[in-house]
Formats: sequence, C-alpha cells, structure tokens
Amino acid sequence: MKMRKVRKDALDLFVAVLPRFGEVLAPVRRGAGWAFAPPRRWSEVDLAYPRTLLPPKKILLPPHERMLRFRKGEGYEDLLAEAGKPVVLFGVHPYDILGISILDRVFGSGRFPDPYYAARRRNTTVVGVDFTPDALHFCPSMNADWVESGFDLFLSDIGDHYLVMVGTSRGDDIVELSGCLLEDITAADVAEYKHRSAQRRASYATEVEIGDLPGILEMEYGSKVWEELGDRCLSCGACTAVCPTCYCFDVYDEDDLAAPTGTRGRTWDSCLFASHARVAGGENFRARRSARVKFRFYHKQRGFVAEYGRPSCVGCGRCSAVCPAGIDIVQVIRAIRDEDGHARAGS
Amino acid sequence: MSETKRILLIDDDTDFRASVRALLEREGYQVLEEPAGDSGLLTARAARPHLILLDIMMRERTEGFFVLQEIRRTPGLADVPVIVSSSLYSEHPFFRVREDAGWMPADLFLPKPLRPQQLLEEVARLLARAPQETAP
Repeated sequence: MKMRKVRKDALDLFVAVLPRFGEVLAPVRRGAGWAFAPPRRWSEVDLAYPRTLLPPKKILLPPHERMLRFRKGEGYEDLLAEAGKPVVLFGVHPYDILGISILDRVFGSGRFPDPYYAARRRNTTVVGVDFTPDALHFCPSMNADWVESGFDLFLSDIGDHYLVMVGTSRGDDIVELSGCLLEDITAADVAEYKHRSAQRRASYATEVEIGDLPGILEMEYGSKVWEELGDRCLSCGACTAVCPTCYCFDVYDEDDLAAPTGTRGRTWDSCLFASHARVAGGENFRARRSARVKFRFYHKQRGFVAEYGRPSCVGCGRCSAVCPAGIDIVQVIRAIRDEDGHARAGS
Repeated sequence: MSETKRILLIDDDTDFRASVRALLEREGYQVLEEPAGDSGLLTARAARPHLILLDIMMRERTEGFFVLQEIRRTPGLADVPVIVSSSLYSEHPFFRVREDAGWMPADLFLPKPLRPQQLLEEVARLLARAPQETAP
C-alpha cells in the first residue's frame, strides 16, 4: 500500500483539488450534530467530529430514490443516470467505511446486484480519517475500529501531518494530481503512527463480547429481555434510519393521473415499523413490538453472521445516541449475556 | 437590442474591485461587486450575472474554491462562465497543481496581477459563448 503524508495546514489545498473527482461532502456542523454535506468554506469542515447523524449510506442508498419511469404500452426507462453524479466523501470514519463495505456485499454481490446502488458506489470516492472515540463507540468489539480496504485514501493523524494511505487506483490518481502537497513518510512518522494507533485502541471506554453471541441468541430466543425491550421501544425507526448497515427499503409507484405514465421509487423502511412484516390478507408476522425489536437484533447479530461471517453492526453508537427510549445496544447485549442482569437491559 | 451584460466581481480587495469595475464599465458592462464568498453567492443567485470574476483567497485561503463549487451546483448559475483570478500560485509556490489539470471547475484561470487587455478579451470571448438568457 502506497503511503505519503500531508501537512495539516495544507489540507485545505488538498481538498481544493478533490472536485476533480466529484462533489465534496465533508463533516460539517448541522444544529446539534454533524452531517456529511457540501462545506461552504474550509473552516466549516470539522474532522474532530464524533459521528454524523446519518451515515454515508444516505449517499449510496438515498432515503428516497426514483428508479424508473413507465408508460403504458411502451414499457419503462431506468433512471440510472440520476445515480451517476460523482461524489467525494471526505473524512469518513473507519466504522462507516466498514458499513459501506457491508452494503457493498448486500447490494453489489450475488446473482442480482442492485444497479442503482452500484452506480452510486462506482461514482463515490471515499477519503477516510481516524478519530477519537467517545463513550458510545464500541467499534473494536465489532472489529470495526480499523479498515484495510473500502477507501480510496485514508488519513491518520500523526501530529503536524496526516499519514495518507492509498487504497485504490483512484486514490492514486488523487495523489498524482495533488502530489506537490504530499511528502514521503519517514521512520519517525511510522513510529508516531504506531504510537497513536495503540493510544486510540486503548481509549475505547466501551466494549462488549460478541464472540459467542450468535449461539447465545439461539438459546435466548424466549428471553424476557425481548418483552422488556418491546415495552420500551416506540417503533419510531430512528435506530434503523441512522444505522450505517440497515438497508430495508419499500418500493412504491407514483401514477400520473392525467396520463398513462408514472415513476417507481423506493424509500427507506424499518423492521421496527408495524407495517414491515404485514402481508396481503392482513397477516402480520411481527405484529408485536417485542417481536420487531428481537428481529432487528437477531438479524444484525445472528442472521448476518451466518450469511456474511460477521455482524452487520460496526459499533458506531448512533442507535444508542438517537433512541428516544434510551435503548442501548451494548446494554442489550450485556443483558442477553446475563452480564448486567435482564432487569437492567437498556436502563 | 442586446441586453447589457452583468458581471459580478467577488473579491475582498477593494482597490482591485474598483479598478476592474472602472475597466469593465468603460466597455459598457454592468458591474456588481461583493467582498466575500457568501455575499457573492447571494448576489449571484439574485442578480443572475452573465459572468463572474472570482477571487480565491478571501477571508479564507481557499474560500473561492468552495464558492465555485456552490456556483456549479446552483441551478441557473451552473453554466455561468467563471473566471478565477488569484495570486494563489505566487503566494504559495509549493502549490504546484496545474490550474488546467481539470480540478478547478472554472472556465478560465488568470493569475494576478491581471493584464487589463487580456481580461477584456477573455470576458468578451466567454460572454459570446455564454447562455444568453440569465434573467433572475
């Protein structure tokens, strides 16, 4: 892997050349939080952010997306071109890069890759950056505190500089274009990187054991923890909206009443919504809130492990941060493991 | 009868704006001025100029680059010709990314100090190929 470094006080000039690869979206303050958005000036970019409210999936799988236009008797035309706008995601944390890699597996592999996701992914450049965890991050528990792929460039803080890892040929193109701003790394830079990397790993205040969690979940399908969570959950779906790996969507048609035409689109759905498992005839496989909460945990921590070899959780802490009922995924896992006791689950 | 062309100057240098304004007005252009990127964008959206002359180093060293991106994603402004004029390269000689390497979404880069005749020629050339209807 090619490595260079860039002075922190030259990062504004480095970012200035990125529009060559697409519209730059970076972490900027939005109200009480942070969002990936086009910065209006360099000083708006805040690389010390803890987490954005919405993860990068909002770019790759937009909350609302038009997929095709149809006309009676003529068939349909896809709207893939609308997904073709190049974007540079600047300042993405490792867990969110892993989140993108998980979405890549779901939408980009298998017999039926999703062309809309694939088009956006193809046109998205990812520049990662390391970060200082807060009390809600538990990325190491999900093996998501470091990534070795999924980015075009990755920036690691080594003091006056960022060490720049080049992950793809597109990343190399950026390095080629901005080469005058980049320097060769030294042995002292490597030593500083290793020192800070160890410091960062040691700074996580929250951890949870998931090694045998799929098996424990298998045993605890009837646990009262799920009923207790069902009593508290409001089914608002906030946790699924902010989750970097939740990808459920609903497909809908919008008919033009004045003409035999219409569009087909999709919008984010949530397994916590009462309608999620309702089918024709009115049957609902998960009518109870407790069943829906349990389904989400089982899908992410057990089903996904069986299918893809790892949980579809990256330890970002977003779901715990936004839950209006105070449900905390770490506490739920501890409760189901009997580490905190059922009665304290999520308290 | 052809419409008087509106040119928006976005530059934090008062003397530069005054001299360029005098030069352009003598040629019959209508000139609007703004001293900063955010006010420049507001005026650009309201007045829909036929051409924008944009500085880079204003309150922040790269301010103009961000203004340029915003111009390019704003409906009605995206196709307006933009001339970037800056002393960026002379003030930061370590920055050697060629201005014509395709990373700057401007129509033209002119280093400061500007040569008046060259500016007038380029303004005329870009206005001749610009979209004719930009009324707000």
